[in-house]
Amino acid sequence: MFQSLLPESVLVLTALILLGLAVSKRVGAVGAQRVAAAGTLVALALMLRGGGAEPGGTGLILADPLAHLAKSVLLVVGFLALLLPIAPKETEHPGEYHALLLFALTGLMLATGTEHLLMLFISLELGSLSLYLLAGFPRTPRAAEASLKYFLFGAVSAAFLWFGLSLLYGFSGGAMLLDVAARLQSAPDAALAFAGLAMVLAGLAFKLAAAPFHAWAPDVYQGAPATTVALVAAASKVAALVVLLRILITGFDALAGSAAWGAMISGSSMWLAALAAVSMIYGNLLALVQRSVRRLLAYSAIANAGYLLVGLSTNHPSAQAAALTYAVIYSIATLGALAVTAAVERDHGDDSRNAFDGLVHRSPLLAVALLVCLASLAGLPPLAGFTGKFVLFTQSLAAVPSHGLVWLVAIAVVTSAVSLRYYLVIVKHAFAGKPESHIEFKKITFEQGLAVALPALALVVLGLFPSWLLEPVTRVISQLAAR
Amino acid sequence: MTPLWSLLFPFAGALAVLLLPARAAALSRVIALAASLGTTIAAASGCLKRLGDTASPVWSLDLEWIPQLGSRFHLAADGLALPLLLLNGIVAIAGVLFSWNITQRPRAFFSLVLAIIGGVSGVFLSRDAFLMFVFYEIVIVPKYLLIVAWGSTNREYGAMKLTMYSIGASALILLGLAAAYAASGSAGFDIAGLAAAGFPKGFQLWAFPVLFLGFVVLAGIWPFHTWAPTGHVAAPTAASMLLAGVVMKLGAYGALCVAMPLFPDGFAFWRPAIAVLAVAGILHGAFTALTRRDLKFVIGYSSVSHMGFILLGMAAATHWGLRGAVLQMISHGIIAGLLFGIAGRVIYERTHTRDLDALQRFNLWKSLPAAAVAFTLASAASMGLPGFSGFVAEVSVLIGLWESYPWLVPLVALGILITGAFTLRALCRTCFPDAAASLAIPVRMPSLTWPETTAIVLLLAVSLAIGLHPSPWISLINDGLDSPVFQPILQRP
Repeated sequence: MFQSLLPESVLVLTALILLGLAVSKRVGAVGAQRVAAAGTLVALALMLRGGGAEPGGTGLILADPLAHLAKSVLLVVGFLALLLPIAPKETEHPGEYHALLLFALTGLMLATGTEHLLMLFISLELGSLSLYLLAGFPRTPRAAEASLKYFLFGAVSAAFLWFGLSLLYGFSGGAMLLDVAARLQSAPDAALAFAGLAMVLAGLAFKLAAAPFHAWAPDVYQGAPATTVALVAAASKVAALVVLLRILITGFDALAGSAAWGAMISGSSMWLAALAAVSMIYGNLLALVQRSVRRLLAYSAIANAGYLLVGLSTNHPSAQAAALTYAVIYSIATLGALAVTAAVERDHGDDSRNAFDGLVHRSPLLAVALLVCLASLAGLPPLAGFTGKFVLFTQSLAAVPSHGLVWLVAIAVVTSAVSLRYYLVIVKHAFAGKPESHIEFKKITFEQGLAVALPALALVVLGLFPSWLLEPVTRVISQLAAR
Repeated sequence: MTPLWSLLFPFAGALAVLLLPARAAALSRVIALAASLGTTIAAASGCLKRLGDTASPVWSLDLEWIPQLGSRFHLAADGLALPLLLLNGIVAIAGVLFSWNITQRPRAFFSLVLAIIGGVSGVFLSRDAFLMFVFYEIVIVPKYLLIVAWGSTNREYGAMKLTMYSIGASALILLGLAAAYAASGSAGFDIAGLAAAGFPKGFQLWAFPVLFLGFVVLAGIWPFHTWAPTGHVAAPTAASMLLAGVVMKLGAYGALCVAMPLFPDGFAFWRPAIAVLAVAGILHGAFTALTRRDLKFVIGYSSVSHMGFILLGMAAATHWGLRGAVLQMISHGIIAGLLFGIAGRVIYERTHTRDLDALQRFNLWKSLPAAAVAFTLASAASMGLPGFSGFVAEVSVLIGLWESYPWLVPLVALGILITGAFTLRALCRTCFPDAAASLAIPVRMPSLTWPETTAIVLLLAVSLAIGLHPSPWISLINDGLDSPVFQPILQRP
């Protein structure tokens, strides 16, 4: 049991070391970043060496294949986030900042490996509370606004989650998801379970940034430091999706209902389909009018939460696996795009589209990586985003009999086509815009190069060989569903 | 050399050009030309081999790819794919030759051009619908970047419009393919397998128009054709040539080889509507071309008009009609490439205008006789005069139309008449103006360069070869149409 917590222990230990260094004021921004990145790498190595761990096992700490996969992904995401540059004004306290980052990562990792309702809440909140603080680290009004908004919305959503979980506890008499599932067998249409599920969904929709629980996202994306945004955009989303998958598959298979057109049955599928439709339409339309690239990425995050929920609203393992696969691909692409944005911002001081003018002349690497990441987000081949979306939409359509979900998939496909427009506008600025001459450009560092090159490379490789990701995710999800 | 090389050469060339060091940038056009030549030779040898021996199975390659989706890396070169691959290679050679003097970032330019050529080859070769869709979409970003970075008139608008039409159409294709996949019981994306699945008629009635429309938007079907003229006008010469020459054919090819075989009952139901839209496109394109002053707009709308013949042949759905449609794909690919090359490169580079009234002043017949001869021959080919490829193709389509929808023939005849009118109008204004309109002393212009001459001669020779001796092309196409997937859609008069 304790063996499986080794990676998390390494993260906590690294965080404590960082705090110690911070107290003695012996660490600068770059040093703290390197220590944190090294800790993440060690944890990742331990994670991968631990193998698939023993499947099954119910309890506080699960070491099933899904947890193993999700934690590995989170560690990779965390490492990539730690490659992003840290501006000096963002970190008067680099030691504390990076310690909190590791705590956030630990919380999110723990949340993906538990079926215990209380543990679920505590670990998710460990992640979220750390992220609220991380958003407000720079002493700027924007960051303060971001942090406060994030915290206020987060607190309300945590209250929803907490209330929902307590209702479920009251309903089932046990604190495990399996207790809920067992109780549902004997009382399939209990109002208490419906209410609990609805509140839990609302709480998790906040973490996924699904509309209408998204209001925090644009301000956090714009105001928070780049590393925080990377964690919020990628790690928090993947973790929330895994938690949601667990709750739906293990706990609420009996309350799935149906989102099929003309044959809707109230339940998780129907509610998720509604959230998905609203998120896709709202996110994509508002992204069209953004001038700040960070805000644009926030609205793209809302839209992409919608795509993920399309897969979840089928209650079918193949579509759920496709959604998780797409979440990973989305995270990689967003990390890459954020890394390029951070590099541009460092020189320009702002993240408007005009700041990207002529990027290709000053750094072909940044421009090409940006093109790859944005084209993947828009769903163009031969990149992973294309295959990810294609598999997600096709499996979602195939999962519901007699084309019942064609209405939702049609919304997804059409809004996804619309999204190409706002991604292309940035590409246009980068490739066809005239660079401003008066700005001096710093050379990009080795870490920055890695932060943009690794995601771009991963997107190309996963686009050509999608099975490498699709196969393990499908296996893990069908194992969970078969239990 | 197997037809696989016509896929590998362009992509390998694109990569090689990208990796060239900055001081060797001048080499990029040589590499691009070599890759295009390789594509052509691979396709030509495939054609010859197939002509010599139509009894043996076609060349194919079938590899495991994404088992979770049931998609395989399945390529095959049948009698339909091979001549279109050859067309792709020839237009590619001409496109590179017409862009020989590109100085603005040549490495990026030629690698994007080669990426388009490779994507097109991939679509023609794919026998797996998902794989075909991947190649189909690969050309979107290179198209956009070529227009937005190297284009001219209204390029940002033209590029974005073209790209949004492409991606919107792709959304329909994705929906249609996903619906077919779901309805076939998640059996995979093999085109022949899906065609044999036998979908229920009620499903075909809505799935066919979704998939078909998705494809034919790229073929410029009326009323979704407006992206084509603006896009062609904004694009740099090589990109207009590739766009009108081969990329528009991708839409027609997808409609013919995927949408129609998958949903034969849906096709049978919607066939008259397609025929009417095709005729509307022929007439609308021709009449609009008659009114435009920008030479490239004239050619762009003439493309819309000529693409209408392809759709018309498909809607006729007899042996004559389908054969004519494929012949017209090849013929129009060559002729549109030629026209855009002459207008965008030969004439514009020397006169710096494409306005028909302004061109009158230059009197090309006096100042640049070689270009005037070339443009005259190209116009003759475009009008469909006997001896050129357009004649063979359009006559085949018309015979097919007689068999299926004789009542549409008079309207098409009117379209052909107007085609003659707008082509002659453009030709007279540019090359043979009134003495009063032209300058008293002709401007001295640099004569044609060797790349220009080579490209013009190549394209004219191919058009003449098809027009004078169409039988090998027809045997190849007949061989392709004998495939079992086409039998349910073929009408027997």
